Amino acid sequence: MSQHSEGLVSSRRSFLKNSAMLGGGLMIGLPLSACATAGFPKAGDKDFQPDAFLQITPDNQVHFYMPRSEMGQGTYTGLTTLIAEELDVEPAAIHVHHVGPLSDYENPEIGFQATGGSTSMRVSFKPLRQAAANARRAILDAAAQQLNLPIAELTTENAQVFAKGKAFNYGEFVVVAANLGVPDEAPLKRPNEFKYMGKDRPRLDGVAKSTGTAQFGLDVDFEGLHRAVLVRSPVAGGSVKSVDDGSAKTMPGVKKIVTIYNGVAVVAESYWQAKQASLALSIEWNEPEKLASFSSDTGKKWFEDALNSGDFEEAFEDGEGKDGLEKASKVYSAEYWAPYLAHSTMEPMNCAVKIEDGHCDIWVGCQTPDVARGLAARICDLSIDEVTLHSTFLGGGFGRRFNSDFVAEATEIAKASGLAIQLIWSREDDTRHDFYRPASLARFEVGVNKDGMIESWTAQRAGPNIMPYTLDEVVDGKAPGFIPNGLVDWLSKRGYGLFNGLTVDHSSVEGLYEDYDAVNKDVQHVTVDPGLPVGFWRSVGHSFSGFFKEGMMDEVAHGQKQDSVAYRLAHTKNNPKLNGVIKLAAQKSQWGKSLPNNHFHGVACHNSFESSVAQVAEVSVENNEIKIHKITCAVDCGFVVNPDIVKAQMESGIIFALSAALHGEITLKDGKVEQSNFHDYPVLRMAQSPEIEVHIVTSDKDPSGVGEPGVPPVAAAVANAVFAATGKRLRSLPLSLS
Amino acid sequence: MITFELNGKAVQADVSSDTPLLWVIRDHFKLKGSKFGCGMGLCGACSMLVDGQSTRTCILPVAAVANKKITTIEGVGNPEMLSTLQQAWVEASVPQCGYCQSGQLISATALLNSNPSPSSEEIDQAMSGNICRCGTYPRIKQAIQSAAFKSGLANQSGQQPSQNGGVNIFEPALTAKEEMV
Repeated sequence: MSQHSEGLVSSRRSFLKNSAMLGGGLMIGLPLSACATAGFPKAGDKDFQPDAFLQITPDNQVHFYMPRSEMGQGTYTGLTTLIAEELDVEPAAIHVHHVGPLSDYENPEIGFQATGGSTSMRVSFKPLRQAAANARRAILDAAAQQLNLPIAELTTENAQVFAKGKAFNYGEFVVVAANLGVPDEAPLKRPNEFKYMGKDRPRLDGVAKSTGTAQFGLDVDFEGLHRAVLVRSPVAGGSVKSVDDGSAKTMPGVKKIVTIYNGVAVVAESYWQAKQASLALSIEWNEPEKLASFSSDTGKKWFEDALNSGDFEEAFEDGEGKDGLEKASKVYSAEYWAPYLAHSTMEPMNCAVKIEDGHCDIWVGCQTPDVARGLAARICDLSIDEVTLHSTFLGGGFGRRFNSDFVAEATEIAKASGLAIQLIWSREDDTRHDFYRPASLARFEVGVNKDGMIESWTAQRAGPNIMPYTLDEVVDGKAPGFIPNGLVDWLSKRGYGLFNGLTVDHSSVEGLYEDYDAVNKDVQHVTVDPGLPVGFWRSVGHSFSGFFKEGMMDEVAHGQKQDSVAYRLAHTKNNPKLNGVIKLAAQKSQWGKSLPNNHFHGVACHNSFESSVAQVAEVSVENNEIKIHKITCAVDCGFVVNPDIVKAQMESGIIFALSAALHGEITLKDGKVEQSNFHDYPVLRMAQSPEIEVHIVTSDKDPSGVGEPGVPPVAAAVANAVFAATGKRLRSLPLSLS
Repeated sequence: MITFELNGKAVQADVSSDTPLLWVIRDHFKLKGSKFGCGMGLCGACSMLVDGQSTRTCILPVAAVANKKITTIEGVGNPEMLSTLQQAWVEASVPQCGYCQSGQLISATALLNSNPSPSSEEIDQAMSGNICRCGTYPRIKQAIQSAAFKSGLANQSGQQPSQNGGVNIFEPALTAKEEMV
């Protein structure tokens, strides 16, 4: 198992590990004591507030301050359910609040207040339940004292204490509870006592999101808020050489036109006015040479040359490593390619900023509020205590809102214009100025012994690394105030040198090698980075490695004339969770049984974010068109707090991944992204969505990731089905037969 | 000055006539339920009913709706008074991030108004202009079918569904709480 545990580590957790190399973890992962109370939700004098998460008022209102962002993945419901269970309150009766930055809300696996890496349930499962159990116990202690009864004679239900047949609201005991203090380790409920956990329950944000009343960043509005549109350098990383804003200035509603580090912003009374005026700007750019020299039609050669250069960093070695191939009775080799991809959240990036009287207020839906606040503080030359970040629902994240570039832009524009502004990106801005899923080229060599079993599994990957781009922002946003700005800039730029030559960014190779049993393993990496910003895209490295590895496994199984399911089962003896989901998906999809005419099955499986997923795709091919009829999905993600949300996340991951598998491709011409909107960067619509069947393994292990693990196997399951249908092995995304 | 009917009330907007209806509704009337997604009429997040038709308002100049009836998500129902479709949305836990769902509900409302029991293919077709990046399509379809079934039952028994206060279920429910700016 030891060889697998490494691979099960999530990308963001390895972020922490990788980051720790920077000055021994000085910058990241240290709680910033200076901000321990900043942003702490305000309690009324008589409220009971046992910690930063919970508040019970004398009128029996229960408030939950949700430490993670809700971007569709279901934390709003899932985390509230944990509180409801242990506090013994109906989930729908709890007031749930989005929170600003606070050290108590840091993600223990990432080291700052981040929502990502499919960690929300995993890292909250015990701490939040414990917090709620402690609070309930404190209420009971107070009730016992106030009612002068032994605690054993008290029970609770839905925010009430029951004693001798009488019901008392929790609120009646909050004053005494606040004085008595809160116990540390009240016992947690046993599974047979669960009322809410483990059951299908409706989403708690369902009504707000079905009535247009849920507030997203874009919906923030107040008197005096102007709208801003920013025209950026078409080649990422460029800056303004000159600007002619003569005609734009005089257009209706225009208040200010300002130049910031990456472009020219028009500030107007309304969005439409700002947008129209932005079209009248004439701008010359300083463009970064390297990226400006990159075009996708010839650029793949950059990746091929790098793989052929032999200039690798060693990422992982086990057994005899690459030497093991020499003993193989047969070696299979193949190269796989995946392009850059945009996130295309439905809500384009946006952020509102007001700087007034030495204080900066930010309204934004984002995945890293403390980094965002830190960046704004640095830009405004304020301390983090002088910056307040107000969080909203996120209209999709998928990793895009892990970056805070749009917060930095909005703050710069507010500062330069002297006006309260809301920066609104267009869909074109969103498609052309993303932190993209890194393009990747990988080569496998797999050695099989005389018994037909895999003995050596080797992989080499060429492509850009995410970590330098992320570190750039995180160091800027999280570095303590006593470090001079110049030094922070220097530190944040070290990321490029560190990960592009000295050590391997784990997210560049994760998923390429961990899942299958083989005595010899070897993974090597070579960095190729044209300079297009890259970032976390739902399932990160697994988004390409799942396709690569599962295509390769299918090639070996086919070469050995073995059944694709049986061969995978034979190579997951040390990986029982993955083995289990392969069996379950095969059984539920009726693998090997007869299918409708011209329909074919393909299978793929992948471990990511500590969960195991296997999928069987049912596909037909007609006139080179790939039609996906059904995906059968099996998932093992430990104990499930709300099975319906796990099912929804599998459906979501599958449809998200199908968009990429069938259509997704960002290409560049002279460093400029060629796609712009949903007509040239299409995503799946209802008519193209297959039937999806989800089966969840019953488990009493702690919960693991759900938001991302549904993504990695999809493209491979489809490609493997296409191979079964046509004999053509598709090794490049998006999948195309023509 | 352009006059039209917004969620059952006559309103006037003093804005440039080429301003897309979406921004007039969001910035001038401060109704934020309709969303900006693409600005090209490709994603459907901005959908509103214009004389009963689901219409992409990010590319619809406000001048084009003079004297027409506009219904936004705020006019379909509200948390205290959900339409049958909204009720089905909540029961099926359709929304994930939720950003596109106002537009999805507008298109679904227009569909059931004109076709009370659509086939699966008719649902696909009617909803094809609305993108959901979270992939809630299976649940959207399930919720539409469930609402169609329930309203069919209600019609058979001659009863009006209770969730909508006796208003014809697929006619937008007018909200008493709405305040025009």
